[in-house]
Amino acid sequence: VAIFGLQRLTAATTAGLLAAQSVPIRAVSLSFVAMAAAVTASVLWPEALIDQEILAGGLALIPALLLAHYRGWPLVAVLLGVGLVALVIMHLSPLFFGVALRGPFLLLFVVAPYISIALGAGWFGEVRRYQAELRATQLQLIQSEKLDSVGRMAAGVAHEVKNPLMMILTGIKVLEKRVPASDGQTLLLLRDMEDAVERADRIVGGLLNYSRDRDLDLAAADVNETIERAVMLVKHDLENAHITLVSKPSPGLPKLLLDEFKMQQVFVNLVTNAIHAVEREGEISITTSLEKLTRTALLAYRKANPYAAGDRVVVIRIEDSGPGIPEEHLAKVFDPFFTTKPTGRGTGLGLSVSQQIVEMHGGTVDIANRDTGGARVTITLKVDREVAAS
Amino acid sequence: MRKRRILLVDDEASITRALAMYLTENGDCEVCVENKGSRALAAARSFKPDLIFLDIVMPDADGGALAAEIQIDPVLKGTPIVFLTALVSRRETGGATMTIGGYPFLAKPVHPETVLASIAEHARERV
Repeated sequence: VAIFGLQRLTAATTAGLLAAQSVPIRAVSLSFVAMAAAVTASVLWPEALIDQEILAGGLALIPALLLAHYRGWPLVAVLLGVGLVALVIMHLSPLFFGVALRGPFLLLFVVAPYISIALGAGWFGEVRRYQAELRATQLQLIQSEKLDSVGRMAAGVAHEVKNPLMMILTGIKVLEKRVPASDGQTLLLLRDMEDAVERADRIVGGLLNYSRDRDLDLAAADVNETIERAVMLVKHDLENAHITLVSKPSPGLPKLLLDEFKMQQVFVNLVTNAIHAVEREGEISITTSLEKLTRTALLAYRKANPYAAGDRVVVIRIEDSGPGIPEEHLAKVFDPFFTTKPTGRGTGLGLSVSQQIVEMHGGTVDIANRDTGGARVTITLKVDREVAAS
Repeated sequence: MRKRRILLVDDEASITRALAMYLTENGDCEVCVENKGSRALAAARSFKPDLIFLDIVMPDADGGALAAEIQIDPVLKGTPIVFLTALVSRRETGGATMTIGGYPFLAKPVHPETVLASIAEHARERV
């Protein structure tokens, strides 16, 4: 009776532990089926109680051994192996020593299976996590392959486009010199043509920079100040569209190692996107905060992330009151050249470039729709200990 | 002072045609054009330029290798060379001429005024 009481207690404790570890339901079910089988067998064949416990203990140790193997814990594997051998020896003890090793050891046999089940269930969790990480890594590889293709294409396009641009520009300049100063209209036409060449050159130059710019010029910087400077650059667009910008900077944020110029570009891109989403008379808010990542918060990151529970991070959230992003577009928004903006308004590189820059800083950028409508972009940047201390 | 002799080597005939026109009309230059990289050395030997504008990427010749050949050629040795290239952007050069392998270069699309300024700066003086 005491043993069954103990079994119920350990079962309850194990169930609690499993729930706290957010172990998949399949693993928990399997564990409980195994436990139920062991208890039923003990009730049906009380005289075989020890045998059943040993069987349950031995079997339950297998996933624990696998876990130790996959995690590269040789010491744990050896200890579990020793436990398994001890179980067998105790089982066979009446044969060799004529004495059955029961009593306190029985407790061990009762508790051991549950510890093993818990470890085994943990292993299921590990497998699930590894699978998720693998999937995320594959996605990142695809993304970086896309970026590389863009880079290669950009270099090719740059070369092929710059030559005709040079021809057109030189031609314009030849004509400009030949046209009499009194022919203002023709001169204006030629100047417009020159501007068009300049614009095309800027776009091609942007593509080249996108494919090449892989270096960061890092220095300790205040994120709030960087955001403020970026906002100054888009102030005119905000005013033109009658959009209210609500800035909620968290005071006393630790300084971060940033390439200020590039991060400024990120904020300009994101706020510009928000302006285009809102169109007219809406609201954009920028919030910054210092947060400590909890285990639950980590689960919110859909991609493989560089963080661990307990990491201190600066989180920047840019929210808009626009229509939000259609579900079918959410997975594509970071793809280079993906845009829903009308021709001439966006190249489809803004978010892709922003993501590239944030990831170069060891951070992450996520985009989601808000429950209350509109979109939310979340940038997470890890607080560097040395910079934080300085 | 006689006109400066400028050799333009670029496989894009439209570029050399327009640039030659501009330099002849607006600069004190005598311009020779060569659109085949493989014939550039021969053209240079017969024209004896004071400055060569050399494209780097051409289908039948490599601008860098050509520059090296010019520098060891007994007739052409010491002839100033400026590369013209579409491989870098104007922003990267900071608008001014920088060097590739010790030679100054101009990033396409380059303003013809900049080409004139480059001639004034680099072309050999001949009296």
